[in-house]
Amino acid sequence: MGYESHKIANNFFTSAILLFLIQIVVGIIAALQFVWPDFFILNFNTIRTLHINALVVWLLLGFMGASYYVIVEESETELWSIPLARFQFWATILTVGLVVIGYIIMGFYPQANITVFGTLLLNEGREYIEAPRWADILIVVSVLLFLLNTTMTAWKTRKFTDVQGVLIAGNLFLALMYLPGVFYTKNMIMDQFWWWWVIHLWVEGAWELIAAAFLAFSLHKLLGADRTMLAKWMYIEVGLVMFTGILGLGHHYYWIGTPAYWLWIGGIFSALEPVPLVLMVWDSFRTTKYATKPVENRVGLFYTISHVVFNFVGAGLWGVFHTLPQINKYTHGTQITTAHGHIAFYGVYALLVLAMIYIALPTLRGVKQFNQSRGYVAFWWMTISMIFITFSLTGAGLVQSYLERVMGLDYVTVKSAYNHYFWIFRAVFGVGFLVGVLIFVKDFFVAGKEPLAKAS
Amino acid sequence: MSKKTAKNFFIYGSIFFFLVLVVLTIDTMIRVPKRAPVITAEVDAGKKVWHKYDCIGCHTIMGNGSYFAPDMTNVAGRKPKDFLKKFILDPRAINPKAAMPKLGLNEKEADNLMAFLEWTSKVDTNKWPPKPVLAAARKEASTGQAIYQNQNCAACHIVGGIGGTAGPDLTRIGPKWKSEELTRYLKNPASVKTASAMPGFAHLSEQELKDLSDYLLTLQ
Ligand code: HEC
Ligand code: HEC
Ligand code: HEM
Ligand SMILES: [Fe+2]
Repeated sequence: MGYESHKIANNFFTSAILLFLIQIVVGIIAALQFVWPDFFILNFNTIRTLHINALVVWLLLGFMGASYYVIVEESETELWSIPLARFQFWATILTVGLVVIGYIIMGFYPQANITVFGTLLLNEGREYIEAPRWADILIVVSVLLFLLNTTMTAWKTRKFTDVQGVLIAGNLFLALMYLPGVFYTKNMIMDQFWWWWVIHLWVEGAWELIAAAFLAFSLHKLLGADRTMLAKWMYIEVGLVMFTGILGLGHHYYWIGTPAYWLWIGGIFSALEPVPLVLMVWDSFRTTKYATKPVENRVGLFYTISHVVFNFVGAGLWGVFHTLPQINKYTHGTQITTAHGHIAFYGVYALLVLAMIYIALPTLRGVKQFNQSRGYVAFWWMTISMIFITFSLTGAGLVQSYLERVMGLDYVTVKSAYNHYFWIFRAVFGVGFLVGVLIFVKDFFVAGKEPLAKAS
Repeated sequence: MSKKTAKNFFIYGSIFFFLVLVVLTIDTMIRVPKRAPVITAEVDAGKKVWHKYDCIGCHTIMGNGSYFAPDMTNVAGRKPKDFLKKFILDPRAINPKAAMPKLGLNEKEADNLMAFLEWTSKVDTNKWPPKPVLAAARKEASTGQAIYQNQNCAACHIVGGIGGTAGPDLTRIGPKWKSEELTRYLKNPASVKTASAMPGFAHLSEQELKDLSDYLLTLQ
């Protein structure tokens, strides 16, 4: 395994993958509830909360695992404190477990969500950041310990590579942007205003920094490409992400009660957000030509490049096509948003974490070669299914925008009569996605441990 | 461009744009209170009920949230509050086919929630949701049908595939009712069916009620 510290990364990856599996199973239940609302013992809202929270948490666990791995590889030394990292891991898992139990109790007995010390005990009723205040505090502590440990590791060797710098900056920005979502605001407009600071500045800011750092790291590791060149392009990319993404926040401030100048600011800046994403695609394809060594971990490279491409498709294309106020006026809050949310989270961040797992895998298992074919099979099951889920939801969204927003038909009528088949397609492809995830989970546990010849 | 220039471009550029965002945020905080009615104690209590029952896990509000159920921004403007309150307390008592479960709110919570939804319906949302074109371009065939439309019966009833699902489909309602009884029902539903959730239309004149029921009787 090389470094003892890599066991920590392995723990984070294992927990991330198990949550990924849970996310998809509850996602299929949620999809079926669109057709049969009473399909399951828990109502849709509880299932959806589990679905989106599992997503965010497994991505964060994946980022932490990958960050621990990358920092150690870049510093070429053990973590500053392995016991602290182990403690941080188990404390995080415990917190997540308690929060999930809370959601389920609240699902059965909504009345149990009582107010204690002025905040709700089990569920704050704000999507993605439903976790109650006590959990917020524990999460912040966990992230601070993680930041401390990774920063001190980089500090210890005084090397401070560019990748480490951007990675730590991204993680710090991530931690800081959690805070605007912790406090209660009386005014629903400001409630949503601050809520979007968290959600938007995460996915279109902090997380993209982390992604760019991982990309530069991976391209160097896999291809042996020149570090200075990679670092230069990484800075240009993250610079453009921040210039367009920070004020691009305005694309969420069109209709929530905030002043009308946001229509201009949000429209203009968010329309430019695909620019750095295109640059990343160009950069990574170009870099493959500067390889200085043969690629051993082909599946790792494959996932990395796929992440870059789907970053552009999911966030760039599916994000930008409804980002101008003239269009968003009709598509806001429809299934168009759901379509974008799915392809963006999968393409940008799920594939990113999976790519990092494959890149780390040989090191974690202490092997040079592993059977790579299962990784591709998993990829195609997941990706083709997700493309069709996105098409189903986009179809449902176009029908909904037209019939409800333009023609004035009722929401429930459109949902139950006109979009019925889209829900069925979505659920079917959800099952296809699950097949891919199961193959991936198996691969994670057996790759590098089975004899190479037995490869199938 | 050298790596160092690129690095400075990233660091100073990010700081600059973040400061612009902070300035805009302060300006927004100053302007927002003027774009909505005053927040009373009931509105705040209602907002807390909204969070407590995780309504956003199914509904959107101001277009943000979950996409399983209708948007709540304007619902208090679209339907009478009495009706909405009854619905929230026990959805399936009103509409047996409702997908919304009974969440167990009490009377007081429901009242506060109505105050909150009333408040959100008055927020200046830059004219969102847009006014549908169909509603604007409709032509009425009879006086009764005109009344049906301007009283917005379609918010709760379907005729020929168009309308809401809170009340029964009226596409073939004609044969079910007698003229005199229907007129009485429309004026005060509770006088015909006990515990009816259908709002009364006593503010209409006798002639208007008659025209309306004549129109309904033609639906078969
Ligand atoms: C499990 C999902 C779910 C939850 C949780 C939920 N709703 Fe609903 N709600 C629905 C659905 C679906 C509808 C559409 C009508 C139907 O089929 O029941 C609806 C309809 C409504 C309506 C009527 C809208 C109209 O135009 O007639 C109101 C008002 C409403 N909900 C308010 C609330 C409030 C307030 C809460 C939180 C206390 C809440 N809902 C929680 C699913 C939910
Ligand atoms: C806020 C929702 C709402 C609005 C608005 C509304 N209704 Fe109703 N209506 C209901 C509900 C709920 C019922 C079922 C309860 C009952 O049978 O009393 C109903 C029942 C009826 C029935 C009896 C249906 C049957 O199957 O016997 C008729 C007729 C009717 N409504 C006509 C109208 C007309 C005409 C208007 C407009 C002037 C109107 N409604 C507006 C909710 C509404
Ligand atoms: C980088 C990865 C991205 C992810 C993971 C992502 C994810 C999401 C999600 C989950 C939502 C829905 C939030 C909710 O529940 O209300 C959303 C909304 C939105 N996103 Fe993205 N997004 C990304 C990038 C982008 C980009 C680059 C753009 C445009 C340039 C964009 C444009 C939008 C818009 C306009 C909405 C609001 C939709 C509405 O009005 O309902 N997104 N995004
Ligand atoms: Fe955004």
